[in-house]
Amino acid sequence: MIQQDINELEERSIFIIREAKSKFKNVAALWSMGKDSTTMIALARKAFLGKVPFPVIHIDNGIDFPETYKFRAELAKKWNLDLIVVESEIKPEMSGFACCGANKTVALKKLMEERGFDALIVSIRRDEHGIRAKERYVSPRDRNFKWSYKDQPAELWNDYSSSLDSKGHVRVHPLLDFNEIDIWNYIKKEKVPINPLYFSRNGMRYRSLGCTHCTTAIKSNARNVDDIIKELGTTTTEERAGRDQDKEKEYVMQKLRSLGYM
Amino acid sequence: MKINKVTLLGHKDHGKSTLIGNMLITSGAASEQRINEAKKTSRKLGRRFEPGYILDSFEEERQGEMTIDTTRAQVKYRDVAFEFIDVPGHEELIKNMISGASYASFALLIVSAKADEGIRPQTKRHIFLAKMLGIDRIIVAVNKMDTIGYDEKEFERIKGELGEFLGGVGIRNDNVYFVPISAYNAENLSAKSPNMKWYKGKPLLDVMRTVVKSNEEVEDPHLRILLQGTIPHETGSMLIGNVLSGSIRSGQRIMILPEGANATVKDLFVKGSRTKSASTGENVAMLLDKPISREPRGSVIYSEGSRQRPSDEIKATVFLTKEIGEKITVRFNGSNLQGKIAINSLIDTTTGSREAPKSGNYALNAADVNIKLGKKIQAEPFTDSRELGRFVLYEGSKFAGIGIIK
Repeated sequence: MIQQDINELEERSIFIIREAKSKFKNVAALWSMGKDSTTMIALARKAFLGKVPFPVIHIDNGIDFPETYKFRAELAKKWNLDLIVVESEIKPEMSGFACCGANKTVALKKLMEERGFDALIVSIRRDEHGIRAKERYVSPRDRNFKWSYKDQPAELWNDYSSSLDSKGHVRVHPLLDFNEIDIWNYIKKEKVPINPLYFSRNGMRYRSLGCTHCTTAIKSNARNVDDIIKELGTTTTEERAGRDQDKEKEYVMQKLRSLGYM
Repeated sequence: MKINKVTLLGHKDHGKSTLIGNMLITSGAASEQRINEAKKTSRKLGRRFEPGYILDSFEEERQGEMTIDTTRAQVKYRDVAFEFIDVPGHEELIKNMISGASYASFALLIVSAKADEGIRPQTKRHIFLAKMLGIDRIIVAVNKMDTIGYDEKEFERIKGELGEFLGGVGIRNDNVYFVPISAYNAENLSAKSPNMKWYKGKPLLDVMRTVVKSNEEVEDPHLRILLQGTIPHETGSMLIGNVLSGSIRSGQRIMILPEGANATVKDLFVKGSRTKSASTGENVAMLLDKPISREPRGSVIYSEGSRQRPSDEIKATVFLTKEIGEKITVRFNGSNLQGKIAINSLIDTTTGSREAPKSGNYALNAADVNIKLGKKIQAEPFTDSRELGRFVLYEGSKFAGIGIIK
């Protein structure tokens, strides 16, 4: 995995986050308490001199890990975040595509409509998945959250999409250029607080965090940020190998995303 | 490490995605899962293994055997790293090609040597566009050499014809490299192919390494800060912006255009912390000694005494992706400006020749134009400042092309 220039990535992300705030009226961000969206909030604090100027949304299906809830409470207080928790229903018979597709997306749709957000910052990265690699920095979604991936807007230089249908919104992706290892290098450099589930306990750790139903731990002895950076330097497996929904079948991520999934 | 961004160029089906796919495999950058997934899909579709599927991840792309949208993939080779930007080769997807190519610092043009393929109008159009976007170093990979018995004469013929065209659009001879390859068989990618002993040059990845190693970027010392807007601050509002060139320090006298106001920088922040100075590439937040009169988005900060002047008229070369009328929208550094466009001469992007405008559809043509805007902007010729010398054209909400200011 290639380690990129952290300063360059940081400046680009700050530019994009500021651009979102300057360009759109009502911005919000998704926060899953994972390493990526937490890094994004750390970047927003830099962009706006310490105070995150938009709400952060957790779509809570009630089945996240206890460590995740504790981390949420602590960091929201420490960073003075405007936290919105949206409870989404979870049905025991649902998993993978149906669960993430239906339940998370529906809950988010309802909130977006109620609050009238026109831009949503989402911390996806290009190296996570072939489908996410096809994304723009700023990507419009129609009122039904549909992603017209076959007709994405032109996006040159720093000219980001501004055409919106009346009830739609844009997804803003300030971390698109980061690789997984860059995130950890940034966490190290900036001492970003991180969910303890990423660190090894009893020879296991989570490399990618979802809910308790769909995420499995990987074998690892990486107990701290330095260990993780070292581990990622030599790994040959994919980051999301422990995520169920990606493995169900081909094109699952494409279908989820075209319906509005993060 | 530094990532050198390289865009693929070339006609559809000449092998752009296949080439990147095989580069990812041979360099070890593609994970086993990604390779296996591509293999599985190839089998399901009843085809031979297609390395391009590592990049073409949309169902429609794989089934239709074409790249629909741009994507990127990184490869480390010896002591350098590349980011390949894959782009679609189809004419109707040129909007996506331009989007991808605009981020690159050099280009890898694929031309198929296969009988009935060869140099196509789209091959030349891509070269023309790349040059417009500021790319002036091009590596030409003459692909599918295996299908013509590794014929040196055909390679030389393509080299001669393209070399002439490249020179015609203003790309210097010593910035052009030709490599005969077979993307599918991974020949001449990272190791010399025994089937083309007549080729005396280096394999493709080594040529790419030479190109990035020989490039020395010259930094422009003149201060330019593009303003994005303001953020609230206890003492009023702070300007935020990106340092495009030069550097700025606290206490410095500056000039804001198009306002034409002079001011002093009272306080300066980078990455959330107070600082004495900021340099190229950094995003700043700053307090001035006096408020500025208008919305700062799109304004530019120069050093006091700069000779720059704003204008409501621009002379430019544009590339059009659709038919347009007289009324257009110019998107320039975050602002949408209404304008009227007058076409002075048409440029045929496949020959480079200019002619008087005639009536008709100018889609896929370039043109020399004058644009009269509804208000003044602070722009510069593209050769002086890339960021201040380019714009995007829209007609209504439809993307219509790009422009480079003369």
